[in-house]
Amino acid sequence: MSITEEAPPLADALLDCSIVEMGRLMREGSASPVELAQACLGRIERYDGALNSFITVTAEKALQQAEVAARELAQGLDRGPFHGIPFALKDNIDTAGILSSSHSKIFENRVPERNATVAAMLEAAGGILIGKTATFEFAIGGPSWDLPWPPARNPWNRDYLPGGSSSGSGAAVGARFVPAAIGTDTGGSIRWPAAMCGISGLKPTYGRVSRHGVHPNTFSLDHCGPMTRSAEDCAVMLGACAGHDPRDPGSIDEQMPDYLAALTGSVKGLRIGLVRHWYEDEATDEVVAAVDAAVEVLRGLGASVETVTLDPLRDYVDAKTAISTAELFSVHEKDMRERPLDFGKLLRSRVMVGALVRAEDYVQAMRWRAELTTRTMAQFSRFDLLVTAGWMAPADPADADGVDFFKKRQLATMPFSLTGMPALNIPCGFSSRGLPLSLQIAGRPFDEATVLRAGDAFQRATDWHLAKPALG
Amino acid sequence: MSMSKTVPPEPATREEIAVLAKHAGLNLTPELFEELVEAYSHVEPTLMRLRRGRDRADEPAHVFDPRKFMPVEG
Repeated sequence: MSITEEAPPLADALLDCSIVEMGRLMREGSASPVELAQACLGRIERYDGALNSFITVTAEKALQQAEVAARELAQGLDRGPFHGIPFALKDNIDTAGILSSSHSKIFENRVPERNATVAAMLEAAGGILIGKTATFEFAIGGPSWDLPWPPARNPWNRDYLPGGSSSGSGAAVGARFVPAAIGTDTGGSIRWPAAMCGISGLKPTYGRVSRHGVHPNTFSLDHCGPMTRSAEDCAVMLGACAGHDPRDPGSIDEQMPDYLAALTGSVKGLRIGLVRHWYEDEATDEVVAAVDAAVEVLRGLGASVETVTLDPLRDYVDAKTAISTAELFSVHEKDMRERPLDFGKLLRSRVMVGALVRAEDYVQAMRWRAELTTRTMAQFSRFDLLVTAGWMAPADPADADGVDFFKKRQLATMPFSLTGMPALNIPCGFSSRGLPLSLQIAGRPFDEATVLRAGDAFQRATDWHLAKPALG
Repeated sequence: MSMSKTVPPEPATREEIAVLAKHAGLNLTPELFEELVEAYSHVEPTLMRLRRGRDRADEPAHVFDPRKFMPVEG
C-alpha cells in the first residue's frame, strides 16, 4: 500500500484533532486507524525533509498495526484511549527489529531484538508506531552536525533549533506529524523541546515510567514521558505507558490513577507556589511577561498563588551537573577509551570530562541532592503545585558554530529532575519572532494527576496549545 | 552544620588535568586533550561549588533496595 494514495483530502485536519477526539472519530466510524496512520505518513513525507525529526519511519509496520487496530475496534475489542493512536519514539528507546541508534555513529547499525518496556506497553495499548525520532547524541550534548543524521529543526521556523535532547519528538509533535511521542528527560530533555516546539511535555515522577530498554544517560536522573499537544493528550499517553516494571530497578510500584478522569477543568482551591526568583532575572523579558501572565490566568481560574523562595536555581544545576557528569562517563567509558573519534565533538566533550570527577565529588553531590530534595518537598505542606518558567528563552538559531551548551542559561527544568518530581511544560505565549514560550507546573511525587489537571484547566482557558506552525 | 564550599581550593593546572586523564585511562591526542581542558573549565567551577563539610551522618540520595535486583521471569 502506498503511504499517501489512500489519504483522504482532510487527512491533515484529522491530525489537528486531540487524541480523545481521534478516539471518538474512530469509535463512531468517522475515521479509521489506517487513515490516521496514512495521514501521519503523508505529512512526514511532505514536510520532514526540512525538519529532520525522524531517523526512521516505520511505514510498513505502521500500516500493518493500523489495520490490526481497525479490525479490533470493528470487532469491539477496545484497548482503551490510546488504541489506534499514532506515536513516535525517541531513538534511544529500543524497538525490536528497528534501528535504535541513539543518533550516534556508535550505534549506527544497532537493531535490538527486544522492545523497551515503554514501547511494548504503548503497542499493547493499541498505539501505532510511526517511527523513531532524532535526539541529541545519546540524549545529551547538543545538536551536532558531525553525526550520521542531521539535527532536527524547529517546526515554527526551521532556521531555529527545537531544543533537546528529545528534539525530533518535539519537532514531530509540533509539526503535527504524530499526535504523541515519547521523550526522555534527565535535566529537561522532554520539557525543553516541548517549550521550543509549542507543545506539552510531561516528565513524570522518577520511577513512574519504565526505563528498561532505554539507553541510559544518567541512571539516577533518567525519566521517560509523553510529549503531545495538550495536557489532556499527555494524560492519555501516560495512562498507556506508566506502571511498575520489575526490570527497571528505578521503577516504583505505586498506584496509578485514571489520569484522564482527573482532568476536572478546575483549579479552584489549588494552592500554587510561584518560584519567580528562578526566572525573573535569568529569563528573557518576553518569557518573564508570558509566565507572569500565565500565572494570572491560573489565579483567575480560582487557584491561590503565593510567591515562594526556594534554594537558588544554580544549586540544583550544580548538583545535577556533577551527578550527571560522573554517571555519563561510566556509561560510555569503554567507547571513550577505544573509539573517541566516533562520538560527535559535543558529546565527546561532555563524556570525557566525567573522567575527572572524583568519587567524593559524586557522593557529595548526591548528599546535596538529598538536602535540596528535602527542602523542596517541604513546600508541599503549603502548596499543591509549584510553577515557574518552562525555559528561559525562545529557541536558539540553528547555527553549528554558535551552539555551546556548556554556556547556556540556567535551566529551570533541572530542580524537578534532581528532585524527581513530576513536571509539565505547556505553551503560554510566543516571542516577537513567533517562537513558543512555556510555563512549567510541578507537583508532589506521583501526583501527575494534579499537575495535568492544572495544565488542562489552563489550556481550556487559553489557546496557545492550539496554534499551528505553517510548514509548507 | 558548617560547610565549606571549595575542595580542592585551586583550579587544576593543565599538568594536573593530564594526570587525572591518564589515571582515568584516557590516552588523548593533543586535539582531544584541548577539548578536555576546555570542557573541564566549565565543569570544574560546578565541582568547586559543591557543598561539603557535612555532618558525618548526612545520607546521600542513594537508596539501595536489594529486592530491585531479584530475577524477573520472562
